[in-house]
Amino acid sequence: MVGSFCPTDHTLKISDRVVIVRLSLLVIGFAAAEVALAQKTPAIVSDPNITFEADIRPLLNRYCLRCHGEMDEIQGNINLRIVKTALEIDAAFDLWQSALELIDGGIMPPADEPQPTASERDRIRRWYQSRFIDDIAPHPGFFRPRRLSAHEYRNTLESVLGLELDVVIREAEQTVTEKSLVMKLLPTDPPGPSGFKNDTSANPLTSTTWEQYTYLVDNGLQRLFAAPHRETLESYIGPLDEELTRDQAEKLIRLFAVRARRRSVSDQHLQASLRKLKNAATDDLLPVLQSELKAVLLSPTFLYRGLLMNVPRDRVSPVDDFELAERLSYFLWADMPDAELLGLAEKQELQKNDTLHQQVDRMLESPKARSLAVHLGVEWLTLDEIEHVSNNPPVAEALRNQPIDFLHYLFTNNRPIVEVIDSDVAFINAHTAKYYPLDRSQLPKYKRPTGIEVECLPNTKIILRKTPERGGLLTMPGILAMNKGPIMRGTWVLERILGQDLPEPPANVGQIPTNQRGENLSFRQRFEVHRKNPSCAACHDKIDPLGFALQQYDSVGGFRGSPELVSKKHKLRASQADHQPPNDGAWDTSGRLPNGETFQNFTELQQLLVTSEKQRILRNVVQRFLCYALCRKLEPADRITVDAIVQKVSQGDGTFGTLIHSIVDSLPFRQTIWQSIEERP
Amino acid sequence: MTWRIDRRTFLRGAAGPLIPLPFLNLMEKTASGATAAAPPTRFVTLFKPNGVHPPSWNISGGSEFDFRTSPLMKPFAHHKSDLLFLDNMGDFGFSSHANSTRRFLSGHHRNTKSASVDQLIAHRIAGDTAHRSLELTTEGLFPNQIGCSYISYGPDGAPIPRESDPQFVFDRLFRSPLRDPVRRSEMKSVLDRVGDDARSLSRKAGAEDRRTLDQYLSVVRETEKRLQNLQSKNSLIPTVAKNIERPPTPINLNDQVESMLDVIALALWTDSTRCITYMLGNSNSRMVFDFLGISEQHHYLSHFFRNFSRSNLESLLKISLWHMEKFDSLLNRLKSYRDQQGSLLEHCLVLFGSGMGHSDNHTATRIPLVLAGQANGRLKTGRYVRYAKNQQLSRLHLSLLELFDVPLESFAETSKPLPGLSDSDFQPYREIPFLSWVRYENDTITLQGRLRLSDDLDEARVFYVDVENTKPIRIEVAFRDFHNFNLAYHCGTPIKLVGTGTKQGDDYLITKISELTPLHGNKPGSAPG
Repeated sequence: MVGSFCPTDHTLKISDRVVIVRLSLLVIGFAAAEVALAQKTPAIVSDPNITFEADIRPLLNRYCLRCHGEMDEIQGNINLRIVKTALEIDAAFDLWQSALELIDGGIMPPADEPQPTASERDRIRRWYQSRFIDDIAPHPGFFRPRRLSAHEYRNTLESVLGLELDVVIREAEQTVTEKSLVMKLLPTDPPGPSGFKNDTSANPLTSTTWEQYTYLVDNGLQRLFAAPHRETLESYIGPLDEELTRDQAEKLIRLFAVRARRRSVSDQHLQASLRKLKNAATDDLLPVLQSELKAVLLSPTFLYRGLLMNVPRDRVSPVDDFELAERLSYFLWADMPDAELLGLAEKQELQKNDTLHQQVDRMLESPKARSLAVHLGVEWLTLDEIEHVSNNPPVAEALRNQPIDFLHYLFTNNRPIVEVIDSDVAFINAHTAKYYPLDRSQLPKYKRPTGIEVECLPNTKIILRKTPERGGLLTMPGILAMNKGPIMRGTWVLERILGQDLPEPPANVGQIPTNQRGENLSFRQRFEVHRKNPSCAACHDKIDPLGFALQQYDSVGGFRGSPELVSKKHKLRASQADHQPPNDGAWDTSGRLPNGETFQNFTELQQLLVTSEKQRILRNVVQRFLCYALCRKLEPADRITVDAIVQKVSQGDGTFGTLIHSIVDSLPFRQTIWQSIEERP
Repeated sequence: MTWRIDRRTFLRGAAGPLIPLPFLNLMEKTASGATAAAPPTRFVTLFKPNGVHPPSWNISGGSEFDFRTSPLMKPFAHHKSDLLFLDNMGDFGFSSHANSTRRFLSGHHRNTKSASVDQLIAHRIAGDTAHRSLELTTEGLFPNQIGCSYISYGPDGAPIPRESDPQFVFDRLFRSPLRDPVRRSEMKSVLDRVGDDARSLSRKAGAEDRRTLDQYLSVVRETEKRLQNLQSKNSLIPTVAKNIERPPTPINLNDQVESMLDVIALALWTDSTRCITYMLGNSNSRMVFDFLGISEQHHYLSHFFRNFSRSNLESLLKISLWHMEKFDSLLNRLKSYRDQQGSLLEHCLVLFGSGMGHSDNHTATRIPLVLAGQANGRLKTGRYVRYAKNQQLSRLHLSLLELFDVPLESFAETSKPLPGLSDSDFQPYREIPFLSWVRYENDTITLQGRLRLSDDLDEARVFYVDVENTKPIRIEVAFRDFHNFNLAYHCGTPIKLVGTGTKQGDDYLITKISELTPLHGNKPGSAPG
């Protein structure tokens, strides 16, 4: 029999999911680099006299280019030769971040290659410090119109129309259907460079998408004018008789123009539409109205955000009130501003500090704020993967809703950010209750109705009193089960929780040997032999302790209990690849973090995460939130914003509420630069 | 234009029964090509999930031209002269939901690398219709056993995505600007308007927004170009689009299916497609038929032995009758459309049926299968064809391929087409005489006779063996015996049985079976089907 194949996750690296991981982590890279720098040499003196051409390029030529730019095969897909102009150097800031981290960590150049001297290393550090940290002035980022992502489009179109565009189907609960007509028809958004789907910058409009937009708008208008939605329509334009009046048609055009553009519209902008309505024959009024509404909903001003923003050119200036309303509502609701926000923007009151923060609180209390967990949370933590854990939809849904409900609770109840790691709250239903045997009594008794074989159930919030093995995201059954084996679990924690970028594993890692005759090594022992090569250590020293600490949880997320309780039956069930326990039944869950701290089991690791690793986790969370709020990848200038917010949430409880309010107050959220001519690479 | 917001003039009146369409009278011209010499033959499949309660479905006795339809057939029995009832179809003792569903149009569950029969036929008959075929269903995917969700498979044996939303199908068929000139010109004017919007923004745009707007405008131009290039094909679509409202939003499953049947008939009549498969549910469907006043899931009810109660069984029969009514609805629609000389049904071949027979034991014998329509004179209807032996479904499929002139020598491990479809050239089922008797000794009952399932709904778990000159021997066993000896499979055939039980006067009661042998050697086989 073939031994377990080195990390299931190496194989998985090829999949889309990890490509996504890669993209997003480039952004996050500087977190770790900075922390590393801060720990080793607290004060790096920057040196503006060091220039790239004179001082840095020669070092690259000497130590790096042989593998990263000269040979036919560019190692690690890093080509340092293509970076030439000053603009290109600046644009590649994330490349320098990871390079510095690797050089500083002694990982690059590899041990068998010539090594830079201490002063050469120092020169690189100083250059980086000066060019990408000290010389960076606060800057909100350049304005860029952004096409609505599929789910934002769905929410916005439904909000404009005032009705839901659902799929016409009566479905049984055991089946999987896309219930939204919009999501069914629009192509799935790939996450953008920021790692989030609302960053559509790399996802241009295509004629396929255009065709679906056309169909959806048609379909939506059709519904609005059909009998079941008569009330909705009448609430817009008053009681309807046999005939639609010209006044009513005009009213509807005005209403839709404001909603669709998400700002007040002058009559001048409506001229063309109003003239058409005026000239339409009575018999033609309805088709003309529908055609005009269709044009409103297919116009670029509806499909893109920001096109109508009213700000001066070529200098930093606050975004206008309507843009601020939009930024708030797409951040917290993934939807257009509601009437209250638009009203405040119209009166130019939204920029007032008190008003603004009252609005944020109001918005977080709205059910629409669940979109933070459903989009930000799910995409940040790859929670969609949980769908593959069970092929029984109500069970898969229960496992997936656990972290979503939990995140929704943390985000909107002003909970401390570290509760992501350690919390005594869990959300369970009858499908997930078995993971909480001693606390499940808090769940109202569920009796399956006669004749119902399986059904979806809502979650109940419980307090974990007798379930020390659960609490926080890392020990949630669905998350444990979606990451199969200690290596995938370790990688996930490192990337998603600690915000650490990892390079691709080499292609030739081979397989982990099985036990030879007479050998009695645990998977962990065999894996350690397998990865003895120093080049593996660079990543696996960080990954493995995190992953093996979770070895007391089996591949389906169950808790194996203390070693003496592991029954024979349990061992058999868990005997797949990564989960083979040693013969004495004891799991080696101990480990040592790269900073030298040691722990015996997951509980001890959890304590380290919320104390000595807390800063890294906070920084990661801040960056993810900021990326999502700005709908873009972070840039060097954003470091100042990130630093300030991290500092803020490091004090006191450091809650999600503080984080969200701080983001709303931040420079890149409130200001912009609208460039009239292109300056960037 | 008068604007009536409550107008609901789709094919049905609000009351339900099909009414002759006013606009059809306007249409002197027939649908399927005014110039074609003969109307094309269409192929339609309607799949009923989760088998049946056999005593309610099976036709008992009778002969090819002289037979009585069963209680479950009642809803469509009035179409008898347009139907061909097939019996003794299927030859597996047990069958999983997924396998029985795959076999429904693919002949054999191992036939996983080739197209299903509907797709082979579609390929042959599609001609220049706008849609080669439509694959339709009622519910979402069932990931537990994904095979339960599909009956149509493409050339490589991969499942073909299904569509379940009647409004969406209607729009695709009749509302697409690509097919409807009115829509096309409306679309052109909208493109002009949004293009103006983008251009006026572009005049004052900065660097980033100009790039975005250019991209937007190029998509608009591309769409304009495609609309210009479209040749307006002479078809009935504009007439249909003008005269028929799209189906209303359904409020329950019945509405949804009725609307879809409307769309199916219309699609065939307008010759938009010639091949449609429609699943009334996934196999294993856990749909709750609340509109029939039922609160249990269909799959739970279909296991009527395990989950027996009189009311459960009645609910199951209600659901099955509803399926039969939908078959009837489809036939009514196809009959009501004139297609050149005759009704649309005369130019169709409709295959209606399920993947399994006995729904609790998943027995794939005596699978409900009915063909309807005359297929342009190629199908001889008004008959009951019960074959002498259990037949593999693939034989039927090979015959269908032959009927549609698809030149295939073999299909799904079969090279012998099934006789009896166009003619009476089949070997009919005949009783083979046998001796029947019963012996009782020390609680052991040994007997020989014909096994049957009780047709009394109060005792749907009970079997009887008919033995000459005695009262029927009653068998009332636990699920284990029912399942292990596959009583459902042997129903209707003579068996020899040894079991434990009691005798009081003339009343025999068997409560445990130790041995069961079929007299004529019919065996379900050990391979799971």
